[in-house]
Amino acid sequence: MLTHLFSTPQTPARVVILGANGFISLALAAALREDRIPFRTVGSQEVNLIDDSAPQKLRAIVDQADAIVITSALTPDKGRDVATLMKNLQMASHLCGFLGSVTCSHVLYISSDAVYDSRSSLITESSSCEPSDLYALMHVGREKMIRLACQTANIPLAIVRPCAVYGAGDTHNSYGANRFIRTALADGVIRLFGEGEEKRDHIYVDDVAMILKLCLLHRCSGVVNAVSGQAVSFMDIAKLVLSAAPRAVNLELQPRGGPITHRHFDISVLVRAFPGFRARSVNVGIPQMLAAMSRIT
Amino acid sequence: MSQTKGSGPIGFVGLSHLGIISSITAAAQEFDVVAFDPRAGISEALALGRFPVQEPGLEDLVAKHRAHIRYTDRAEDVSSCSLIFFTLDVPTDESNRSDLTELRNLLADISAKAADGATLVVMSQVHPGFCRSIEQTLRSNRRRLRLFYQVETLVFGNAVARALRPERYVVGCGEEAAIPGIYSEFLDAFHCPVLTMRYESAELCKIAINCFLVSSVSTTNMLAEICEKIGADWMEIASALRLDKRIGPHAYLSPGLGIAGGNLERDVVTTQNLAAQQGTDAGLVVAWQYNSARRKEWALRVLHEEGLLDQTRPSQLAVWGLAYKPGTHSTKNSPALALIQSLHSYPIRVYDPVVHIHLSEFPHVTVMPSALEAAREADVLLIMTPWREFSEAPLPELKNVMHGASLFDPFGALDRDACLALGFNYRRLGS
Repeated sequence: MLTHLFSTPQTPARVVILGANGFISLALAAALREDRIPFRTVGSQEVNLIDDSAPQKLRAIVDQADAIVITSALTPDKGRDVATLMKNLQMASHLCGFLGSVTCSHVLYISSDAVYDSRSSLITESSSCEPSDLYALMHVGREKMIRLACQTANIPLAIVRPCAVYGAGDTHNSYGANRFIRTALADGVIRLFGEGEEKRDHIYVDDVAMILKLCLLHRCSGVVNAVSGQAVSFMDIAKLVLSAAPRAVNLELQPRGGPITHRHFDISVLVRAFPGFRARSVNVGIPQMLAAMSRIT
Repeated sequence: MSQTKGSGPIGFVGLSHLGIISSITAAAQEFDVVAFDPRAGISEALALGRFPVQEPGLEDLVAKHRAHIRYTDRAEDVSSCSLIFFTLDVPTDESNRSDLTELRNLLADISAKAADGATLVVMSQVHPGFCRSIEQTLRSNRRRLRLFYQVETLVFGNAVARALRPERYVVGCGEEAAIPGIYSEFLDAFHCPVLTMRYESAELCKIAINCFLVSSVSTTNMLAEICEKIGADWMEIASALRLDKRIGPHAYLSPGLGIAGGNLERDVVTTQNLAAQQGTDAGLVVAWQYNSARRKEWALRVLHEEGLLDQTRPSQLAVWGLAYKPGTHSTKNSPALALIQSLHSYPIRVYDPVVHIHLSEFPHVTVMPSALEAAREADVLLIMTPWREFSEAPLPELKNVMHGASLFDPFGALDRDACLALGFNYRRLGS
């Protein structure tokens, strides 16, 4: 559940986004810029959160009135091993050290829907967290670490758990819309496992940014899933790409590695928190992404 | 006060819903009744015929049998009775956990004043083990009192009819199982089977009944949601299920907006606590609670799906019904109130024939004097409690007074085909 500390939106004095070049942080920066909300990004070149000097460097940057958005993480494309897990936890450890030594107005932690039990087909924010890999374990661990630090420092914390995020600036190339569009444009092919039957929720990156912005404006605390509420199959995503791509694209079906699973989200918490917000459907988002990617390529 | 049955007046202690209904039902059987509640103003209001609960048939019953009942706030008036029922509805908190403090205080007070040999009967909603502990306390206090537990199965909105014609009585007994004559005479007056069992069985029996109801409701709701997705109609399926002897014509097969009213939720939480204490499995309870929470949000999700929550073009919303079900004033865990609270940034006009809400808690809500007035100029109408008068609403007139055509009627209070024929965008549970 998500609680608003501000029932009517109030612009934060400043938003500090940890993670300057990430997919979500760039979209959030654009959304804040559009609304003239003061913000500052902090990239790893300025403050490397893995480094022991990180807390001290952050103290020099963050003011008491700032809201902090934590997007920094080594994503699965950077490694799924124990070493990557430990680096991510080290980053969180430094963040907790920093949060214990300063005052700020609000913290947003960008987690992932990977924290939930992969066998659950209908997820809510209160569904059990049962990490199935080290990446998910990382987010579960970091959520708990940061929650404890914020509780101790009495700082309101919102944890946002996005599902599969797609959009033109994606850097991860994970299976789904991002990879399908990339390979469709580059090679004229989309490779599906099985017949792409698995249903998943896909959210456009700008919609994630909007949810984050709303959390900042209402100074929310609690947990919310950043999802569209519409689960569609990978085959349907592929067909959308096929129909909107500016070139001929072939569909290649490959043997699947595991059983078919589906994942839907109950978006009641999101709707209750932000009744006026409505994530775009993939029917709108996929052509938007394709158009943007076509311009880039 | 005339006396036509029994060897003396019967006492009722705690005049909340259960106490009000139970005491007047006893009076209707021509027992003389002393009905006691120590809280300020309760007995005076009842004596004047002002009832804090809404139940079909209640006012008529009181008018007819007033001569047999006396309301009082003096403990001495009731403690002299030979048969005393404890009928305080146990309050629950926001997590549906029971607070037995008030009941314990009443038991301590009255049992200290009661005459030796008196029979005490607990009807309040208690957890297994409660009566055994009270019996031990009485014994350690050297009180010669008999204590029984009687299962109550009051149904909001149908309480009078069920109390007058109970399906059965379930009586929990302590070390002495024989029911005393005065209590036996009372039970016999209702001409229904009387099942006696140990305290713990009777206390759990009450909870078991509610668990089975919740199970039926949850199963119905789960399957109704599937119907909504695949083009099936739950009402067609329910007709078939009712003809199955293993399920039955009275099974809870109408889809709803989760569990509400407080009683079922309380017993579900009690079951969960019992299982946790005893190390038994209650995973099913978690599933019921989850299903209930999900169905309670049905209307909110439908509004979102239909794109009616756009804050740049706010819809005028109308809500018919605030009670958690028809025939009652209760709004405990009411889906209508949950919906209204969720939509605090939208103007909402509401109408309920019985429930009056505190507008200070809902500044975005305007209470209207009639159903049609609430619907006037509305873009969306949600029928959150299927009161009978809503089913009789003139549909063409409703269509004319509304600005929009979205009609969300989860319980199917209106004729779907007629609504569709008039051009309403009509949605209900289970189809």
